[in-house]
Amino acid sequence: MMISVLIVVFIVCLLLRFPIAFALGLSCLAYILVAGIPLVVLPMKMYSGIDVFVLLSVPGFILAGNLMNYGGLTEKIIAFCNRLTGHIRGGLALANIGASMLFAGISGTAVSDTASIGSVMIPAMKKEGYDAGFSCAVTAASSTVGPIIPPSVPMIIAATLSGLSVGKLFLAGAIPGLLLGGGMMVLTYFIARRRQYPKYPKSSFQQIVRSFVDTFWALLMTLIILFGIIGGVFTPTEASIIAVVYALLVGKLVYKRLNLRNVQVIILDSMKTSASLMILIGFANLFGWILITERLPQMISAGILDITHNKYLVLLLINLLLIFVGTFMETIAALLILFPILLKVAVTVGVDPIHFAVIAVLNLIIGLTTPPVGVCLFVASSIGKVSIGEVSKASLSFLLVSLLVLILVTFFPELSLFLPQLFMD
Amino acid sequence: MKQKISTWLKYGTLLSAYGFIGSVLLQIFARFFLANTPPWTEEVARLCFIYATAFAAGLALKQQYFVHLDVLFNKLPASLQRILLVIIPASTLFLFAILGIFAVPFVLRGYQEFSPSMQIRMAFVFFSMLVLGASMSYYAALDLQKAIKNR
Repeated sequence: MMISVLIVVFIVCLLLRFPIAFALGLSCLAYILVAGIPLVVLPMKMYSGIDVFVLLSVPGFILAGNLMNYGGLTEKIIAFCNRLTGHIRGGLALANIGASMLFAGISGTAVSDTASIGSVMIPAMKKEGYDAGFSCAVTAASSTVGPIIPPSVPMIIAATLSGLSVGKLFLAGAIPGLLLGGGMMVLTYFIARRRQYPKYPKSSFQQIVRSFVDTFWALLMTLIILFGIIGGVFTPTEASIIAVVYALLVGKLVYKRLNLRNVQVIILDSMKTSASLMILIGFANLFGWILITERLPQMISAGILDITHNKYLVLLLINLLLIFVGTFMETIAALLILFPILLKVAVTVGVDPIHFAVIAVLNLIIGLTTPPVGVCLFVASSIGKVSIGEVSKASLSFLLVSLLVLILVTFFPELSLFLPQLFMD
Repeated sequence: MKQKISTWLKYGTLLSAYGFIGSVLLQIFARFFLANTPPWTEEVARLCFIYATAFAAGLALKQQYFVHLDVLFNKLPASLQRILLVIIPASTLFLFAILGIFAVPFVLRGYQEFSPSMQIRMAFVFFSMLVLGASMSYYAALDLQKAIKNR
């Protein structure tokens, strides 16, 4: 009965424009007051939620991404992708997806990918005659590749919650991320051919090489992070701080755009983004504790396992639940609340935890572009100044590709497990 | 006063951020170049990170870094929207005021506990929750004041 207070207050707050973190906090507070639990549990659980060493990698990666971005990296990545794909019909849209795949290694979050790439690409695509809705849809959809391809903030959270290796999770996301990006590129190519979107003269080898040199530094950062963690040289937190130092050096010595003043602004901005995430994580920790107190995980597990014990049917049910939740809820919050519960169910029916983590993150990321409330759709529509309805309509075909990749990843565990087994077992 | 609080929070955030970056760097440096890694680096990093979060949270609220959903809100009548724009900061203030107030007994509990490697009183560590509650409450109160004025 009391659990309904928690759920109802949370949903009402969420729908009435309360920030998601505060909706979690207020629903917990309502529950605590009704249940008569001492209120000191509020700061205690907030503190224990964020006092986790591996979470330090979150501000580290956000800061490294912002430092690189300030050096004009977004434009350089886009220019490089455009050199590669510009001569194909719809080349600018393909470059948009390619840039998201490369930028993925830098930022690690989908919403920031939509905002940074979208602010350059959406106006450029509109100017070149692409439909505004399509321009926004391709930007929003391709930005979801980011949190799958390493380094990925949701994967770090999943690792924190489950004790799984961050390196293994990073590697597990690589093939699904490439599949997602590749699938979107194929779809975009066919749409571009049908709508006769523009193409440009082929770039010379020299132009491509010159453009690659500019982008090389960004790609190198991803490789340092990835192989540093996989090779056991750094912990994820250390890798994120190495990325910060690297981004500072590249920004200062190569791109020559960073100085003491703007570095301070970037650090402050990154810490504010990180703080908003940590408050969310702190309250989600309390929310999760209440769910455990109320034995909800056991009830959900029993509910799913009562329907079926078939591994694939269980995964199908979990997929449906996660996509539905991901549509309405922020990825990290949904992950914090649901991942530990559903992981237990998945492991019970014999699903590998690494495989399940990829499925869970992929589901929730797809939710970011699921109409009508996908956050990335909103960000893209506000940049493109197009109605959310138009963007939602244009994004449906991309959503189908994402769902197809999700089905492949769900039913072929090798897609997730091949690289971790190859490099880390 | 407003400007002063904002400046303190800004410098608190920056110092704490430098602290956690520096201690993680020291940890890496010590592992590769020194005979022993100082046992306290991880603890300092965590402490600085929590304080950086506590200081930056209020600034994040001030500049609307917290994500929310607009879908239903945009469909509501303007009068109801205006009411909600008062209720949201009022509830935020209530939530973080409770967090701040009950951070006091939490801090007191930490007075007799010591951190494992640095042996500092945990009260100092837990005090970050009081800072968090206070900075969030302050900016929520300012938001509330603005929302009431705009009505």
